Amino acid sequence: MINQIEEVKAKFLEELQTLKDEKELEEFRVKYLGRRGIIQSLFDKLKEIPREEKPTVGKILNELKELAQEKFNEKKKEIEAKKEKVKISLDLTIPGRFKYTGRKHPLTQTLEEIKKIFVSMGFEVASGPEIEDDYHNFEALNIPPEHPARDMQDTFFIKENIILRTHTSPVQIRVMKSKQPPVRIIAPGRVYRNEAISARSYCLFHQVEGLYVDEGVSFAELKGTLLAFAKQMFGSSVKLRFRPSFFPFTEPSAEVDVSCFICGGKGCKVCKYGGWLEILGCGMVDPNVFKFVGYDSERYTGYAFGMGVERIAMLKYGIDDIRLFYENDFRFLEQF
Amino acid sequence: MKVSHKWLKNYIDLEAEPEEVKEKLTMLGLEVESVEYLGEKYKNFYVGEVLEVMKHPNADKLTVCKVNVGKDTLQIICGAPNVAVGQKVPVALVGAVIPRNQHDPEGKPFVLTRAKIRGVESYGMICSEYELALGDDKEGIMVLEPDAIVGQPLAEYFGLDDVVYDVSITPNRPDCLSHIGIARELAVAFGLKLKKPEVKLAESSKKVFEFASVEIIDTVNCPRYAARVVLNVKVEPSPKWLQNYLKSVGLRPINNIVDITNFVLYEVGHPLHAFDYDKLAGHKIVVKCAEEGEVFITLDGKARTLRRDTLMICDAEKPVAIAGVMGGLNSEITERTRNVLIESAYFNPISIRRTSKYLGLSTDASYRFERGADPNAVIWAVNRAAQLMAEIAGGEVLEGVIDVYPIKIEPKIINLRFSRLNSIIGIEIPKGEVIKILEGLELEILKLDENGLTVKVPTFRPDLEREIDLIEEVARVYGYDKIPDKMSSIVHFSTDKIKTDFHELIRERLIGAGFKEVVTNSMLDEDRARIFGDNFVKVLNPLSREMSALRTSLIPSALDVVRHNFGYGIKNLKFFEIGKVFRVSFDEDEKPKFVDNYIEEERLLILMTGLAEPISYDVKERNFDIYDLKGEVEKLFRAVFLENYQFIYYSNNSEISEFELGVEIGGKYAGRLMKVSEALLKKFDLEADVYIAEIDFDLIRENSKIEERHYSEIPKFPSVYRDLAFVIDESVSVGDVEKAIRESAGDVLKSIRLFDIYRGEKIGEGKKSVAFSLEILSPEKTLTDEEVNSLIQKVVKYVEQKLDAKLRSY
Ligand SMILES: [Zn+2]
Repeated sequence: MINQIEEVKAKFLEELQTLKDEKELEEFRVKYLGRRGIIQSLFDKLKEIPREEKPTVGKILNELKELAQEKFNEKKKEIEAKKEKVKISLDLTIPGRFKYTGRKHPLTQTLEEIKKIFVSMGFEVASGPEIEDDYHNFEALNIPPEHPARDMQDTFFIKENIILRTHTSPVQIRVMKSKQPPVRIIAPGRVYRNEAISARSYCLFHQVEGLYVDEGVSFAELKGTLLAFAKQMFGSSVKLRFRPSFFPFTEPSAEVDVSCFICGGKGCKVCKYGGWLEILGCGMVDPNVFKFVGYDSERYTGYAFGMGVERIAMLKYGIDDIRLFYENDFRFLEQF
Repeated sequence: MKVSHKWLKNYIDLEAEPEEVKEKLTMLGLEVESVEYLGEKYKNFYVGEVLEVMKHPNADKLTVCKVNVGKDTLQIICGAPNVAVGQKVPVALVGAVIPRNQHDPEGKPFVLTRAKIRGVESYGMICSEYELALGDDKEGIMVLEPDAIVGQPLAEYFGLDDVVYDVSITPNRPDCLSHIGIARELAVAFGLKLKKPEVKLAESSKKVFEFASVEIIDTVNCPRYAARVVLNVKVEPSPKWLQNYLKSVGLRPINNIVDITNFVLYEVGHPLHAFDYDKLAGHKIVVKCAEEGEVFITLDGKARTLRRDTLMICDAEKPVAIAGVMGGLNSEITERTRNVLIESAYFNPISIRRTSKYLGLSTDASYRFERGADPNAVIWAVNRAAQLMAEIAGGEVLEGVIDVYPIKIEPKIINLRFSRLNSIIGIEIPKGEVIKILEGLELEILKLDENGLTVKVPTFRPDLEREIDLIEEVARVYGYDKIPDKMSSIVHFSTDKIKTDFHELIRERLIGAGFKEVVTNSMLDEDRARIFGDNFVKVLNPLSREMSALRTSLIPSALDVVRHNFGYGIKNLKFFEIGKVFRVSFDEDEKPKFVDNYIEEERLLILMTGLAEPISYDVKERNFDIYDLKGEVEKLFRAVFLENYQFIYYSNNSEISEFELGVEIGGKYAGRLMKVSEALLKKFDLEADVYIAEIDFDLIRENSKIEERHYSEIPKFPSVYRDLAFVIDESVSVGDVEKAIRESAGDVLKSIRLFDIYRGEKIGEGKKSVAFSLEILSPEKTLTDEEVNSLIQKVVKYVEQKLDAKLRSY
């Protein structure tokens, strides 16, 4: 019996050291000091031992009980004290640990949006060079030398017949020369214009070109496709206005205005109180272009369109100076 | 082009309001950029007559006038010395905005109110030229013509009761560079009739052929030349109505003869030129090209050097005009001119354009000729001008027109199939509508059946040559807004395998790592381009020297971004750019993808400068260093499953770097990581530690295994970790130790990580301790302690021997 008591005592002290919180403390108390706990069960066993041993064993047992209670109380205090200390030092108002935040350039964001919409309609992405030859940039697009339409785009020259492309339309030619219809592509990229730099124009900007050639492609379908694009890009309530215009490589040609999504078409500063914002140019591919790339213009028809990424980003975010895109001021980039 | 609303009304019964006209023109493809109401600023101004002038009872210099303004007679106080009874004067009524305040140093406008001046009421104001913003005279009131009508709105009196549209005319529509041309479009759109003025000429009995002759030598560049001679004109200022028309479209009236040619130009679109007949030697016109290098003085007094392909109008002895561009000073109309030869010709558009470009001289005439004038309008135009010269300048028009027209330019005949029209547009347009539109545009229908029609195109429409051109005309006038929005019922799917958008992937990774994306100019200063090699591409006609070359590296523009931000106190920068670089290459083995000899490559640039982490409460402040950059680059490679890369450690640096290391991807040089040299930073006025990596983007993409990701069984057994530290000589690199460990440990070494570098007394001078954590794993079994220990012993022995290293601790 005495051995048994010593064993319990040793176990008790050992286990007591491992206690960490109030929950464990309570479980421990029930286990040893509870009414049906281990120590009480020892008292119960007292009845069974010989009478002459009872006083000695009883005394030892009582000492154990006292010691256990005392040690337990000490431990309880210790745990409670620790808890108090934690409460004081924890300050959740301290700011979290920050790292630098990355941002995607607003032009890239706008371009990716445009791209995703057209890719979801089945357009594939194509590309071409920024240093272009006269043939692809002008001639094959039905802009012969000495044509007044060349005045529409001020050109940077690299040398005779080599230029910095003035639009992404030469990609149309490159793609059509490389494959037969159906062709359904968009070509995003950088283009250059030899124009004085101001808040409204920069010497370079980004365009997204679109081209769809197949049997039975019509102007009505061009209208439908661009309307679907505009709704996804600017909101489902926008309207489009197609105005007749002139591009040498499309006929009929149109300039497209979107109803001002800032004022809803009522007129505001951004739309210059007209209710419309010009966003892109488009038209049916001119048969002369098909001649250049070797397509049968009796069998195939197609449409093409081109839009300025800067223009759309400026409208979308209310940016009033195109130069901001190329300055890369961190306070600007942080806003997108 | 400026178009006057009032002028248009001569040719159509236009009743629409200007805003409606603007809308119509715009929807016809003639975009109206602005509408100017000329009379707007003279609202509340009228012609008045001074009935009575009395001295002001309380002021010496003022008078009290009674002025009849039509509806009313007003009492007006006037301070001008020249006011007198009977004068017709401009009167501003209460509420008028006086354009310029005579008493304000800046001449700001003000609103006129009823005033009491020294006790006497004034109900208006008699204005000076200055106040009306019509001139600089402040001394007295403006006195109008005696025949001015009392009560007439002043805008009307000045011919300013007009609305002017600024119409942007696309290069394919030379026919719309005139009021009749615009009126024709409006007539079709509004369903009105176009009334072209009838020309009635009273010719004298003298025959023109006896007075002048014309010879065309260059018939290619001048297919037609017509002339008339008008004798005994009186050169003087034009009548007011003519002056007003010219002013409304932005022209300066010169004299009646010149004004008439300009009027006809803006009326019908055909450029004319008036010569002083008596200054034409031999009274002869010869059309031929100039001598190379010949000098000719144009009307504007400038000397122009001509070329062999410059088409000239000459007389019997000398050139008198640059054909279709500008006349010469030597045959100019002056006040002394008595007799006039009117030129009405048709020149080859290409020839005129070439000359105009070469001379840098664009005129109203050249602008129209190079876009295509109407060869068959020459007679109407020359007659119209002659008629006006007779009427306005009192000239005697000689009988007949000299008309040299060697090769006739015939109207084109075009077929239009209704089926083709409908398939291009996408809906069926009623045939009746098609016919109405084409006839409205003055196309003559020669043949019509159920399948289509054949039209004769007037020569004022050089843009109409093919069926598609007619389709556009029909669609345009029919109205794009009436064409429905269709979405093809067949869904088109791409049949190519969908690929990861690699650009987007790289961007997302870097943005996640805290980098901002920049987009910079690809043009830069030649000198800056040269720092990165001589094979840069030059721009022949740059905007400025700062943009005279194309970049061969993304580094210069990145340093510009640094400088810009430093300028605003933003010193901690972490950014990247994906952009193209350009170079010239004549290397036979290097085949450019698109244009011969020009190579375009995409690069990725990563830049870091400033604090490695934002200031925080428990972060030790530390600047970025090369290891931050190297870590980001490797992290990115790992993110895109790029494995076959290696760094190359150079012992020497370059002009632009303080130190650098190269990157090879797939065995090819792909770029470098560097600390930018002070010398380069100085060129950008920068003082900072700047770290840049510039890597070929295509090599990253081509070598990425992202499209080939494949599951391989994950290890069945746990890894064992052991730490090893070696004391080595300073000259031995961490890479050497790592390499030796890898060599000796073999395949079971799964990974190795440097976790400490120590230098100090305990180790000794010229030495360092490097500590690694080794992950050991066998795919076949759990390694026993003995097996691991024996491996480690092998490694230690090898490293100690190879690098003269000493094991420091286990
Ligand atoms: Zn608006």
